[in-house]
Amino acid sequence: MVEDTGKALRPGTYKPVNTPEELKVEEDAEGLPVTVKGKRRQAVISIEDRWRIDDEWWRAAPVSRLYYNVLLASGQRAVLYKDLISNKWYEQEY
Amino acid sequence: MTHTEGSQRLVLDHSPGLEGLARDLPLQQALAKHGEAELIHANIPYYRGVFNEILDKLEQKSPLVEGGEAGCIYIGAGGLQLIYPDDNALTDAVRDVVAEFEPQMGIAGNKFLASLAAQQSPPGDCKILNGDAGAFLKDLACDVLPVSLKSRNKLRDFGLATLGQIAALQPGPFQSQFGPEGKRIWELSRGIDSTPLYPRFMEEAIEASTTLPSVTVSLDAILFAVESVLAGIFAGKALKGRGIRRLTLWTRSWNAETWERSINFKEPAMDVRSTITRIKRTLENYPQPGPVEQAGIKITGLGYPGGRQRSLFSDIRAKEHLAEDIKQLELKLGNPQVYTVKEVEPWSRIPERRYALAPTNR
Repeated sequence: MVEDTGKALRPGTYKPVNTPEELKVEEDAEGLPVTVKGKRRQAVISIEDRWRIDDEWWRAAPVSRLYYNVLLASGQRAVLYKDLISNKWYEQEY
Repeated sequence: MTHTEGSQRLVLDHSPGLEGLARDLPLQQALAKHGEAELIHANIPYYRGVFNEILDKLEQKSPLVEGGEAGCIYIGAGGLQLIYPDDNALTDAVRDVVAEFEPQMGIAGNKFLASLAAQQSPPGDCKILNGDAGAFLKDLACDVLPVSLKSRNKLRDFGLATLGQIAALQPGPFQSQFGPEGKRIWELSRGIDSTPLYPRFMEEAIEASTTLPSVTVSLDAILFAVESVLAGIFAGKALKGRGIRRLTLWTRSWNAETWERSINFKEPAMDVRSTITRIKRTLENYPQPGPVEQAGIKITGLGYPGGRQRSLFSDIRAKEHLAEDIKQLELKLGNPQVYTVKEVEPWSRIPERRYALAPTNR
């Protein structure tokens, strides 16, 4: 009988938190968000704030995002960002 | 080769010449097709032992070794250039470890591609995948994808037979048809696999075994042997005042067939008597495959008795109890079950880098 080594196989133990969720956003001519399509389609009433993040530019997958704090037609606030590398839109708590 | 799942005997593997057989086909159906076949019952605990031994040896070659399903091992080769200056040096090191087998090896940029390369390499040899993964993947059948049976059937229903056909589609519509697994299928079909290597989790274990004076089928004789092994463990220093929360009981019959059962204890068993009661019940409920010549115990869960008495320091007690309950849950279900939010890079400007969920008990 080969002695069991007493080691168990385990999958990875750490899980990410607050990962961005992709969503569809219609932009106007200037590239600003006009409507957001998550569970339902909602118009953007106003853009409250806007900021840009450029980070990890030394890595293979650099981060370049343009964040928008927006007020939606339902009265709900949301933080969206446009990934300036893939040109996709995401929602993420900031 | 057969294995048992519940009360059913299923096909595990077969000689290449036998047609119409597949893994997990009920044995009755297999025998209807090939009644003349010689049956061998798979000795899973033995294979697992051999597999773990190989993983142990490979960990001396690379710090990042992941054991997939039995027979499949992933080795991280990043940063080992000074030890293994080229691919040949690495494959030679692996070949030394598994010299008694003829390993099929594959070297590629990720786990999925490496496993496909290995499957295509001749026994004892290595296939290195450089350059365009798309060209390598495009003619491969969708059956190579490590995805659920449901998705595999769905791919067939859509008439998607090769990885190249999937890769040619747009990811959005594909994902909407296949759900969350769709993204992974689409990425794999393009040779993208971002799953990291999961090294093994180290766990303290106490092992002991004994050979019976004569081969026996008597439950009392087996129980007596196990009891003497247990008494030795409790008398020794390895437990360090801790109790047994989980043990694996195994026996080996005269024809080298191994029987194995795991037993979990709600409260740590602190003496031979409380442990042997559970062992007796298990031995009675799960009959031996044949006359037994060797019996042993492997203790993998060790813990202190909980005790539920009230304390002046109620907060501390509550935390201890919670930790014990979580540990018990993990022993039963395996893998971490309860997570705590931990700060990783709270200063980071990238929100998803700030926190991570870490297993509460680690």
